[in-house]
Amino acid sequence: MFKLNFKIALRNLWKNKVYTAINIGGLSIALAAFIVVLLYVTYETGYDKDVPNYDRIYQVGRNLPDHKTDYTPAPLAKVIQDNFPEVEVTGKMSTTWFEFPIQTEKGRVYSTKALLLDYKVAKMFNIRPEGKLADENDPGLQLYVPKLFFNKLFPNEQVIFPKQVSLGPKKAGQFVKLYGTIERTDEHSNIKFDVVSLSKDISFDNKDYGTNNFKTFIQVKRGANIEALQQKIDQLYKREVIKAGASANDYRIAGRSVIFLDPLKNLHLKPMAGSDTNYKIVFALFGLGILIVIIACINFTNLTIAQATKRAKEVGVRKVLGAYQLNLTYQFLAEIFMQCLLSLALGLIIAEVLLPVFNRLFGIPLSIWHGDQTLFAQLLLILIGVTVISGIYPALVLSAYKPASVLKGNMQTSYKTRWLRNSLLAAQFVIAIIFIAGLLIVNNQLKYMRAEDKGFKSSQVVFIKNIQFYNKAKDFEQARNKMMKIPGVNYVTVASDIPDGSKPGTNTYKLGEQESSIDFIDVDFDYFETLDIKLKSGRFFSRNFMADTAGSATLNESAVARYGVTNPVGKIIRGCDMDYKIVGVVKDFKAQGFEAAVEPTIYSIKNPCNNQKIKIMVNIDQRSMTAALAALKSQWPSINNLDGDDFRYEFLDELYGRLFKKQEQLQSVFFFAAMLTIFIAVLGLFAFSAFTTNNRIKEISIRKILGATDFQMFKMLNTFFIWIVLISNVIGWPLAYILAKNWLETFAYRIDIPLFPFVLAALISTVLTVLTVSIQARKAVKTSPAEALKYE
Amino acid sequence: MIELKNIEKYYANKGVKSYVLRHVTTNIKQGEFVSIMGPSGAGKSSLLNILGMLEEPTYGQYEFMGEDVVSLSERKRVELYRNHIGFVFQAYHLIDEMTVAENIEAPLLYKKVPGSERKSRVADILDRFNMVAKSDLFPNQLSGGQQQLVGIARALVAHPTIILADEPTGNLQSVQALQIMDLFKKLNEEDGITIVQVTHSEVNAVYGNRTLHLLDGVVNEERNKIG
Ligand SMILES: Nc1ncnc2c1ncn2[C@@H]1O[C@H](COP(=O)(O)OP(=O)(O)OP(=O)(O)O)[C@@H](O)[C@H]1O
Ligand SMILES: [Mg+2]
Repeated sequence: MFKLNFKIALRNLWKNKVYTAINIGGLSIALAAFIVVLLYVTYETGYDKDVPNYDRIYQVGRNLPDHKTDYTPAPLAKVIQDNFPEVEVTGKMSTTWFEFPIQTEKGRVYSTKALLLDYKVAKMFNIRPEGKLADENDPGLQLYVPKLFFNKLFPNEQVIFPKQVSLGPKKAGQFVKLYGTIERTDEHSNIKFDVVSLSKDISFDNKDYGTNNFKTFIQVKRGANIEALQQKIDQLYKREVIKAGASANDYRIAGRSVIFLDPLKNLHLKPMAGSDTNYKIVFALFGLGILIVIIACINFTNLTIAQATKRAKEVGVRKVLGAYQLNLTYQFLAEIFMQCLLSLALGLIIAEVLLPVFNRLFGIPLSIWHGDQTLFAQLLLILIGVTVISGIYPALVLSAYKPASVLKGNMQTSYKTRWLRNSLLAAQFVIAIIFIAGLLIVNNQLKYMRAEDKGFKSSQVVFIKNIQFYNKAKDFEQARNKMMKIPGVNYVTVASDIPDGSKPGTNTYKLGEQESSIDFIDVDFDYFETLDIKLKSGRFFSRNFMADTAGSATLNESAVARYGVTNPVGKIIRGCDMDYKIVGVVKDFKAQGFEAAVEPTIYSIKNPCNNQKIKIMVNIDQRSMTAALAALKSQWPSINNLDGDDFRYEFLDELYGRLFKKQEQLQSVFFFAAMLTIFIAVLGLFAFSAFTTNNRIKEISIRKILGATDFQMFKMLNTFFIWIVLISNVIGWPLAYILAKNWLETFAYRIDIPLFPFVLAALISTVLTVLTVSIQARKAVKTSPAEALKYE
Repeated sequence: MIELKNIEKYYANKGVKSYVLRHVTTNIKQGEFVSIMGPSGAGKSSLLNILGMLEEPTYGQYEFMGEDVVSLSERKRVELYRNHIGFVFQAYHLIDEMTVAENIEAPLLYKKVPGSERKSRVADILDRFNMVAKSDLFPNQLSGGQQQLVGIARALVAHPTIILADEPTGNLQSVQALQIMDLFKKLNEEDGITIVQVTHSEVNAVYGNRTLHLLDGVVNEERNKIG
C-alpha cells in the first residue's frame, strides 16, 4: 500500500511539475533563510555556553543615578567571597583601553585588547594557558600571548619560560615576564582578549572603594537564592563604602539598591549595564525568519488546496473502494512531508551557499556542519512543524471530500476554502508590501545619515594612534610644529576623545545656580579647526590667549541649552574643583552618531580630572594626502619621540562610518527579506493564477465563441487579483507606517516618513501582479476554443 | 439484503424543494439481479447512490444486510465497502495516476489481501477481460469503452456480495455489452452475487430478474419473465 501511494505521489508531483517546482522551490529558499537565521540565533544566544558552571556565574554591577555600570571597586570580590558561603568563587577582570606594543630585540606586536584576569576568573571561564603552568599563589602578573605573537617576538628561537619582554614603546618600555602562549581560537565568549595577564590578585590588594576599574564575577553554589544574595551584597557594599569614608547619604548609594547580579547568559545580548540592541536584532531576525517560513507555508497550503480538485476524484474513488478518511489524511500528509523533506534538503544546500555571505555581513563564523547536533534536532522540529502548518489543512480538506459529490462531477471548491485561499494570498502580499515600503524607508534614513551634515568634517582627518600622554599643551608643541612643516598638513591637534562614536567621560559642572552632569572632552589648540566645527559665538581656543591653557572652556549648544543661559561667553563654569571662563560656544556636532541626541559637552585644554590626551588628529589636504602620510611615516620617530616606533593611523571617515554598520546590516537583511518575500509571493501568485486560469479555460473558450475580445478576457482574469493586491496595500500601508515609525524613533536625527515608499510599494506589487497574471491569461486566451472544449 | 421504506430525496434551492425520489419502497433480496430504468433525470443515479450509501436520503428508512444505514458509523460503512459492495460508475472514475493493473489492485489493498494473491487475482481478471496488454497503461491512454471495462474489473476483483452498476455498458459496443451482461448473469447465477444496474437499454434490462421503472422519482415495479 505504502509503495503504491508513494508511486502515485511521485506521479502526481511529476504531472504537476511546475506547481511542484514552485512549491518546493519557494519552501526551500525560505527554509534556507530560516536555517541561517536559526544558526545565527543559536550562535548569538550561546556565548560562553561551554563554560562548566554557565548557569551559576554572575557579573556584579552597580546602579548609578543616571546609568548602570559593570565597573566595580577592587576589594568587592574579596569581601563577597569572605562574607557569603553560597558564593563559591569570586574574581576580577580588568581591560586595557588602548593599543600598546609588546617587543623583544627581534620583533614587535601590538596588543589591541589586553586583559588582566584573576586566576579564579580564568578558571571559572575555562581559560587555560599553555606553556608554564600558572602558579596560583604567585602574586605577580603572568603574561601569556597567542602563538602568532610569540612567533613574531621570538622568530626561530627556543625559549625557556618565563622570558622577558618589553611592554610599551621602545624608549619607555617596561619589562615583564612572558610565561607562555595561550590559544583561544574561539571568540564565542564574552571574555575576549589577545594577550592576557593572570595573577592571584590583579589589583595587588587594592583596598580603594573610590575608583571602579574592575569587573567582578561570582560563581554561586547550586540552588543559591540570587535575589537574596543580591540584597545582601548590596548592603555589604554600602557598609564598606561608608566604612571607606563616604557619607551615608552620598547620592551614589543613598535610597536605592545599588548592586545587581547579571547572569552570564545575558551578558552578550542584553547586559544590564549596556545596550540590548543585539538582543533586539537577534529577536527581530528570528521573527523575520519565522515570517518568511510562514509565507512559504501559506504558499504551499494555498497551492495544495488550489490543486485539490484534481485529487478529488481519487479521494472519492478510494473511499468507495474502502479507504477510511484517516487513511487518506495520512496519505496526503505523507505526500506533503515528502515535499517538505525535499525542500529541507535543498534548503540546507542553499543555506550552505548563503552562509559565507551572511558571515561576512555579520562578522561571525557560522557553519552547518559544526558538529553540533542541536541544529539537526531543530531541523527535525522544523520539518515536522512545516509539514503540519502547510499540510494539515489541505490534508483535512482533501480527505473530507464526499464521494457522492465529487463522483457526480459537480465538484466545486467550496466558498469557505476559496475565502481562505484569497486571504492567504492577500496575507503574503501584505507582508511583501511591508518589506518593500520598509526597505525604501530604511534606505532613505541611511542615505540621510550619510548625506546629512554631521556638524564636522571627517573626510580629510587622519587619526594617529599613540600612547604617549600629551596632557599639557606645551608637551605637544614640538610634535605639532614638526607635523605642521609637512606640506599639505593644515591642522594638528590631540585630544582625549575623537568623534568616532565613543562615549567621553562625564563630570558635574556648575554654571550659575545650575549644576549638571555633562560630557567633557580634553582638547588641545586647533581641535575645532581640525574637525572644521562651526563657531556659534565667542572664539576658539587660541595661542594668543595665555589663559586658554590654564582655565578656558568652550561649550556646545546643547550644554548652553542645558544650563539655560543666554550669553554664556565670559561667564564662569565650575567643575573638577576649578573655575573655567567660557570663551566660546560651538555648534552641536554629532560625534556619537545619529541615534542619540548630541550630549551637552564642555571642551577644555586643562582638566585636573583629565582623561589622557593621546589621540592625535591631523587635517591634511586631500590632494597631498599620500605624500603627507608618507612624510609622517618617515618622520614619525622624530615627531613622536616616545611612542615613535610605528606610524599607525586610521581615517576618521572610516571610523565614523563604522557607526552605521549595524544599520547597514539591517539594510542588507531587509533587502534580502524583501526580495525573498516578493519572490515567494510572486511564485505563489504565478501558480495560483495559472491554476484558476486553467480552471476557467472552458469558460474563456465559450465566452470567446460568444464574441468576447482578448482584452476583455485579460481584464476579466486580472480584475480579481488586482483587487486582492489593492486590499493588501490598504492593509499593508498602515502596518509598514507603524513599524517604520517605531524604527525611526530609535534615531534622534531622522527623516519624516515620505509618501513615495508606499506609492512605490503599491506600484511594484500591482505591476508584478498584472505581469504574472497576464502571462497566464495570455496562454488561456491563445488556446483555441476547439482545443479547450474537445474533452467534454 | 436491501430494504427501502418510504425513501424521499429532494434538493432545496432558494426555498423550492425539487424532488428527485418520492416514497420509494422496495426490497432487494440476496441473489437478485435488478435493473433500474427511466428517462434522463428521473433519479436513477440518485437511487443507486443512496443504495451505495454515497448519499443520504432526506427521509425514509434504509436497511442494508439488516443494519440501519442512517445510523451507520464510518468504520462500519467502510467495512461494507471493503467486503460487500462493488461500484461501477457511469463515468468510470478510474484514478488517473494509477495504471490499469494498479487501479484493479486498489480495492484488494484496502481489503488487505496478501501480495501474491493480489497479483494472481489481478492477472486473472485482466485475462478474463482481454486487457493483459493494457495492464501498464494509464486511464487516459485507453478508449472510453476500455476504461469502462477496467471499472467493471475493479468492481469484480474484490469478490463483492453486491454490485451497484450505473450504466455499466453505456460506452461499449453492443457485442461487448452483451458479453458484460452475460458475465453479470453468470456471476449472479453461479456465485450468487446480487446485482443492481441502471440501464437505458431494454435488452440489458431483461437480463435481470426484475426491473424498477423510475419516473419523476416514483417507482413502478415489473417482474421480468425469465429468459
Ligand atoms: N446536487 C444537486 N442539486 C440539485 N439537484 C440535483 C443535484 N443532483 C442531482 N440533482 C437532480 O436530481 C435529478 C436526478 O438526477 P440523477 O443523476 O439521479 O438522474 P439520472 O436518472 O441518473 O439521469 P441520467 O440518466 O441522465 O444519468 C436531476 O433532475 C438532477 O437535476
Ligand atoms: Mg445517471
